[in-house]
Amino acid sequence: MSYDIVIVGAGGGGMYAALEAVRRNPALKIAVITKVYPTRSHTSAAQGGVNAALANTDKSDTVDLHIFDTVKGSDYLADQDSAAYLCEQAPILIRELENLGAPFSRLADGSIAQRPFGGASKYRCCYCADKTGLTILQTLYEQCLRYGIQFFNEYFLLSLEQEDGVAKGVIALDIRTSKIRKFEGKTVILATGGYGKMYWHRSSNAAGLTGDGGAACLRAGMALKDMEFVQFHPTGLRKSGLLVTEGARGEGGYLINNKGERFMSRYAPEKMELGPRDLVSRSVETEIREGRGFDSTAGQYIHLDLRHLGADLIKSRLPQIRELCIQFEGVDPINEPIPIRPTAHYSMGGIDCNTACETSVKGVYAVGEGACVSVHGANRLGGNSLLEILVFGKRAGMEAADLASKLPAAKISDQRLKDQEEHIAGFYGKNQAERYDVIRTELGTSLADNAGIYRSKELGEKGLSEILALRERFKKVKVADHSKTFNTNLMQVLELGNMLDLAVCVAKGAAAREESRGSHSRIDFPVRDDQNWHKHSIFHMNAEGEVSLSFKPVTMGKFELQERKY
Amino acid sequence: MEDKREITFNVLCFNPEVDEKAYFKSYDVVLEKGITVLRALNYIKDHVDPSLTLRFFCQAGICGSCAIRINGVSKLACTTQVWEELEVSKSKDTITVEPLRNFEVMRDLVVNIDPMVEKLKKYKSWVIPATKDADLGKKECTVMPEEFEPINPATDCILCAACYSECTINEGSNQQFISPLVMLRAYRMNKDTRDTVGEERLKVLVEDHGIWDCTHCYRCVQSCVKNIPIMDAIQGLREETFARGMTNSEGARHALAFKDDTMKLGRLNEFTLPLRTLGMFGAVGQIPFAIKMGLKGRVPPLLPHKISTRKQVQTMLEEVERDSKKSH
Amino acid sequence: MKYAYYISCINESMTKELDQSLFLWNSQLGIELVRLDEGTCCGGSNTDFVHPNVNLVNNARNIALAEKLGLDLVTSCNTCLLGILHVKHEIDSDPKKKELVNHYLKKQGLEYKGTSAVKHLLWVLNEDYGLDKLKAKVKKPLTGIKFASFYGCHILRPSHLMKGGDNPNAPRSLDMLVEALGGETVEYASNNKCCGFHTLLVAPEESFNVAGKALVEAVEKDADYIVTPCPLCHMSLDAYQGDSMAAMGKDASIPVLHLSQVVGMALGLSEKELGLGKHVVTTRSA
Repeated sequence: MSYDIVIVGAGGGGMYAALEAVRRNPALKIAVITKVYPTRSHTSAAQGGVNAALANTDKSDTVDLHIFDTVKGSDYLADQDSAAYLCEQAPILIRELENLGAPFSRLADGSIAQRPFGGASKYRCCYCADKTGLTILQTLYEQCLRYGIQFFNEYFLLSLEQEDGVAKGVIALDIRTSKIRKFEGKTVILATGGYGKMYWHRSSNAAGLTGDGGAACLRAGMALKDMEFVQFHPTGLRKSGLLVTEGARGEGGYLINNKGERFMSRYAPEKMELGPRDLVSRSVETEIREGRGFDSTAGQYIHLDLRHLGADLIKSRLPQIRELCIQFEGVDPINEPIPIRPTAHYSMGGIDCNTACETSVKGVYAVGEGACVSVHGANRLGGNSLLEILVFGKRAGMEAADLASKLPAAKISDQRLKDQEEHIAGFYGKNQAERYDVIRTELGTSLADNAGIYRSKELGEKGLSEILALRERFKKVKVADHSKTFNTNLMQVLELGNMLDLAVCVAKGAAAREESRGSHSRIDFPVRDDQNWHKHSIFHMNAEGEVSLSFKPVTMGKFELQERKY
Repeated sequence: MEDKREITFNVLCFNPEVDEKAYFKSYDVVLEKGITVLRALNYIKDHVDPSLTLRFFCQAGICGSCAIRINGVSKLACTTQVWEELEVSKSKDTITVEPLRNFEVMRDLVVNIDPMVEKLKKYKSWVIPATKDADLGKKECTVMPEEFEPINPATDCILCAACYSECTINEGSNQQFISPLVMLRAYRMNKDTRDTVGEERLKVLVEDHGIWDCTHCYRCVQSCVKNIPIMDAIQGLREETFARGMTNSEGARHALAFKDDTMKLGRLNEFTLPLRTLGMFGAVGQIPFAIKMGLKGRVPPLLPHKISTRKQVQTMLEEVERDSKKSH
Repeated sequence: MKYAYYISCINESMTKELDQSLFLWNSQLGIELVRLDEGTCCGGSNTDFVHPNVNLVNNARNIALAEKLGLDLVTSCNTCLLGILHVKHEIDSDPKKKELVNHYLKKQGLEYKGTSAVKHLLWVLNEDYGLDKLKAKVKKPLTGIKFASFYGCHILRPSHLMKGGDNPNAPRSLDMLVEALGGETVEYASNNKCCGFHTLLVAPEESFNVAGKALVEAVEKDADYIVTPCPLCHMSLDAYQGDSMAAMGKDASIPVLHLSQVVGMALGLSEKELGLGKHVVTTRSA
């Protein structure tokens, strides 16, 4: 089938793009292909809210303040033209979404309520209780159904097709039947999500956040950007990685090591558990590394102890945290300490693109956590990730719709299908013996140890060589399930392949960047170095799978570089 | 050291490529306390049987992918603790896992939820806003907190389909029934002050297999993983049919009869209930049943029971009705 | 032990045998039941959406009648139980609603205070009376008779309103009662399913399909009787059994007993006294 626009991914970004495109030009043929049903997408997991300088709650808020907070939050690695576009569009996008039925929480006068959020100088974050992402995702899905958007649910992206720098579409696997098919498209929008799951058991992400779009771009010769920037949260649950929010420490929870010590006294004697997030993360990690953690099947961890707060306070002030611990960890914080450790939860890097979501290939656009515009730079501001998918989802839909009407139909050769079929058949070969789950776990451990909260030249290089070795072993990985019907074993192997390619970039970037900026924290280079490192990292992969690193300047604007202090 | 136990998972498996019908496979695994059913199944997939097929995604109870039946009850695998499940089930060391009901099984625990999506489309499960396309994004609509409140619980729905799987009439109608989650969403749309097609939506909702076919069994409410009072939404839609004067349906007439009898007699007149529900023509179908019952001496009294204080009751309830109308 | 006994409309007409047997044994156990003759129809799970306030005031009045006697209210119909419990819950958790209902009730010389509990007969026997005590009263143990318990929806769900202590997914209270009377119980998956009563007139095929499935399962598990604590379930399972079996393509049959009849059996009442002949289905066949 041949389309005007092929959208890969049906989270907030992909669906907003589809909606914008169909509303701009109802005659366009649009296909949305997604490996999970649209409402399963990870957009649903964003709880907190979405920033927009509506100035409903605080009349003194302005778009400029929002831009400044974003640029400062990014540790000055965000491109200021993109950040400005993001923040200028924010109020329009929120109102548009609201007009379409999104259920935002309200102020007494009936306008959209806003609350304070980390890194924001004003009450700017619009929300719907603790289900903001879920309700936005549902609203977009409802509107897509209304407009009759054609979804191809449970199709897995195998390759991005381009010829001489022009988009041709994608090849995807129908998970239900294992059939491989072409989606020829004049334009392609990649809205495939982040890559934080490569940290596997050390990640709060959904199972599918495996960077499929980024990996497809990398293999198509396109560039990824700023891959070393991955955000960590200090208190993820031991088994699931799910976040125990700051609230638990805010109410007076203690962090305790296996000696029974409140170890934060060594790192932040005054603020103790309420020190800045990155410091708490590093402190917990240090305790574990120096052998003061607890042992378990699921790895080493530290205790977040709430017991001294008493049952009444826990029940009345922290009911959601308590439910989270009971459901996912089998631990009731009233009776037991919560097992926690730092966890990866957001990837700032991604497919290199500009404010118009354009990549180096004409007709290929990228949007959302899988893209790097870049508006988050070295560190994402809370409430800006949902905003990003809305603003740039719309922009990508707009750009693709306009371009598609000017281009001739795209064609993908049958040979390309055969290549993909052969690639997949390879996993079933007789000599395939490596276990996917073993490689996956080792990948997670290596990344967390060498390209996680703690980084250094030595660790980075160690990580890189370990990951390259895993990638070698992956060539012998085995798909044990030979069924053609809903073969999730095959899918997990394909996802692992994607994660490994991207992990090479992450480790390479972590080893190379000799400074500390935002989420990237080097023990051997503890301060930001604007002289040498105020630049984006750019990653390419050649046909042999070798990843090369180059750099690109940051687009500046009205805000000069200054030290980031809160 | 951690508490561990040997646990048997009986999983209903089916691969249409090779199996004629579904069968149970048993997996014995040693698991530690604190593990969820989803993690246990994934442990089995990684270490014992890579062919075991299930859906999962967020692993945080918010995406709805991993809804299956655990010991017969539809719920999310990712929020169900293995040890807690053992505590409530009769067996000490066995957990039974099956796919959701009321869907075609594609493989093992994976079901085809497309029919559910088709129902969302049929009943227009979206807001058609008053704001014109050209004006989108220009101005916020005012939604007062008290207008937001009725739609708030419904927006917790994650489309996990647990209620769809548990629904009595969905099963009884071979899945022709609208199903609970679609009614929940219809209610949410119709209560939304920004929506413009409430009446149009309601007209489809009262058709055959629509809101009047719900049998009030509360299985949807009981199984909802987000504790949404789904029955309130179903009753809310029915209430709306009366508010809009759409009373020309068997379900509406049936319900009205209860209110009328309570108000006028104090008790229900079961003798005329079929006639009032089904109309003269429809009630003819009930005659053989009436004869069968009559032979057993089981007939509702021709003259219904009336309580002696019925006049006072009538006066009181009519006053309630009048006052409610005034405050509307 | 003394209770205000709420009269269910159906027990006055289609299932008279339920109350008939109950009133033959309640005094044997020393359970005094004061009939609420002035009680009104609970609304049958219908009035609440036709007119929520009428439903609220109407059932508040039913409870207030029991409160006036200083007694807890007992019913032997699941739907009446839920209808009245629901209103009680609404009023008890919202002072404004309490004020509203009392505004009307005062004119009738009544007041809703919230002092009377609302219970099902099954709960009274299991908890207030106690199964050990009941066991001691058994004259004709139901030895060798196999019962399939059919609980019905409105005594189990929504579980936050129900005080019977049953797990709605695996109820035991009725089975425990039957076992105390010396009977055997069979395990079958349909015991907590719906009988389809409330859609018998508007969606009969659907109702027959769900009731049929439960009936067939009880037959296959070799039960001699189905026992139910709800007269509406009884109607569906007994009076419409032929239709439901036909929907399943079966011509088996299984008699369905009221809870009150099963207790009566064990307390030595005759088939005639229990009104077993009034049932549409009187014989068991496979």
